Amino acid sequence: MVECEFPECTTFGSVVRFALELEKGAAGVYEELAKAVPSAALFKELAAAHKKRGGMLENMRQQKLNEMILEPIQDMEREKYIIDTKVPKVSDAKQAAKVVMKIEETSSKFYTDASKSAKSIMAEAYRFMDKMSKDNLAYKAKLETL
Amino acid sequence: MALLTEVQKNYGKLKNYVNGEWIESTTDKWLDIENPTTGAIIGQVPMSTADETKAAIEAANEAWWSWRETPPIDRGRLFFKLKELLEQHYENIARIMVQEQGKTIDEARGETRRAIENVEVAAGIPSLLFGYSLEDGAAGGIDEDAIRSPLGVFGAVCPFNFPAMIPYWFWPYAVATGNTYIIKPSSQVPITQNYMTKIVEQAGFPPGVLNIVNGSHEVSDTLMEHPKVKGISFVGSTPVAKYIYKHSAENGKRVQAQGGAKNSLVVMPDAVLDRTVNNMLASYYGCAGQRCLAGSNLVAVGNIADPLLKKWIESSKKIKMGYGLDESVNMGPVVSAKAKKKVLDYIDGAEREGGKILLDGRKAKVPGYEKGHFIGPTVIDGVTPDMTIAKDEVFGPVVSFMRMESMDDAIDFIHKSPFGNAASIYTQSGKSARDFRYRVQCGNIGINVGIVAAMAYFPFAGYKDSFFGDLHGQGQDAINFFTDRKVVITRWF
Repeated sequence: MVECEFPECTTFGSVVRFALELEKGAAGVYEELAKAVPSAALFKELAAAHKKRGGMLENMRQQKLNEMILEPIQDMEREKYIIDTKVPKVSDAKQAAKVVMKIEETSSKFYTDASKSAKSIMAEAYRFMDKMSKDNLAYKAKLETL
Repeated sequence: MALLTEVQKNYGKLKNYVNGEWIESTTDKWLDIENPTTGAIIGQVPMSTADETKAAIEAANEAWWSWRETPPIDRGRLFFKLKELLEQHYENIARIMVQEQGKTIDEARGETRRAIENVEVAAGIPSLLFGYSLEDGAAGGIDEDAIRSPLGVFGAVCPFNFPAMIPYWFWPYAVATGNTYIIKPSSQVPITQNYMTKIVEQAGFPPGVLNIVNGSHEVSDTLMEHPKVKGISFVGSTPVAKYIYKHSAENGKRVQAQGGAKNSLVVMPDAVLDRTVNNMLASYYGCAGQRCLAGSNLVAVGNIADPLLKKWIESSKKIKMGYGLDESVNMGPVVSAKAKKKVLDYIDGAEREGGKILLDGRKAKVPGYEKGHFIGPTVIDGVTPDMTIAKDEVFGPVVSFMRMESMDDAIDFIHKSPFGNAASIYTQSGKSARDFRYRVQCGNIGINVGIVAAMAYFPFAGYKDSFFGDLHGQGQDAINFFTDRKVVITRWF
């Protein structure tokens, strides 16, 4: 199980931190599932995708932050977006997929809401978060095919 | 939430950087550098002597001619290298700032970005340095050219509120245009610049091109009085800006001296309430109100006053205070006990003059940080134009709520202030916005923007007692400040 620490979403930085924790948690779960179901290459692929997204988030935070419009964020409830990173015993790919589909759904919801908050702060962050949300749903669609 | 790690617990005794070497000052006067959140002492800064400052000036002057002969494209390349290194150290720079200044990590990251943007602009120096020519400009067969030339040694006296960014409003342009430079960082927050200068050294700038002399007025006065220093840049309070302007000018220097501010944000009846409030929160409480672009007077026009005030109080109460290394914190402390006392005195004074304290941050406490210089968001209703709190620069998270009948009243009020740094209007009316922009006598105007912080390629403006000089920091103004035009008339026999 990957230990994640999900902060309150009150600032741009804490929203990005929350997202980094989501990516770390998701990548960890996928890695464990990849070990449990070695025949399903998709889990390994998506573990790598989530790790890459972590790097993209850090890059976005460094390059796009504009201190002039650092408005507080007061409309995101942390509890809505927490994912469970404990991996239950699974016997096949379908069962394993169910575990991570829930994570992708929650993550997608987080990024959608984060993109709405970011919209009033910085357009680049809005587009980035919106794309992340769409990618979560694409991953979920891939998982549904297993 | 867990705190981000401090880069170092203690930075020890800071050194000066002169002629490419880190030198310990011989002074017997050292000041402790305090973390304003925890109260911990995180280093010591020397109050360098006049002789040490003169040695730095001589070193900078010695380095000048060979640096001036370095082609602009080569100077620019060093700034590209510097940009890459600053990106690598981005997070450390931000965290050091949080430690010594008290701002939040988001604010510090944003400030680091601002510093880097100035390096990026300076990296394009060949195009920025172009002069102009006119064939047959003087007469038939006689051409005329204007060439931009560097002047020699320049210096900056820097404030405590933006330890990374403000030195970078100046020195990259000065050095890129072929001058050499001396920075005197604020003695309250010298560690950030110390760290960044190690990165400058790593980038390969030749010895003597950039120098750091830590200290106080003895360093500043020596810079202002030395005949080999050609110009001074300053950011700070208005009384000191006036002194710097006068004293430097008396000694034949170019000067750009940014002073204090008293910024009004005007909210029109047609403003989009939620977005306006959220944007203004950043202006009044960002950097705990310690920025020269911070909102101070909140002027509500007409019938928006009551709903605005209600929403404002609700949102202000949600501002989370704490150590800026906690990424979920919205606001840190002010920089020192002295700064806190000054702000509290202003709030007390406003109360005595009849202001109604609707939200009182005077007794704010943050568990775990009892030694921190915290002041909570403070909202004072019933402020009138004659009250001290409406006129003086407070430099803390204090909102003076004022009610006016019309935009004309608001503009009249803004014009009565001796300051002219910034003013903003929140409206959906293009006509109101245009009138405001056209009429208001301030250097930085916001339309639905509460912090009018010019990007690196624009000048950081300022009128009246908020700026003394004619050429501002950043952008083309900086290029003009750090160069002079040499006119050449050419005739071939």
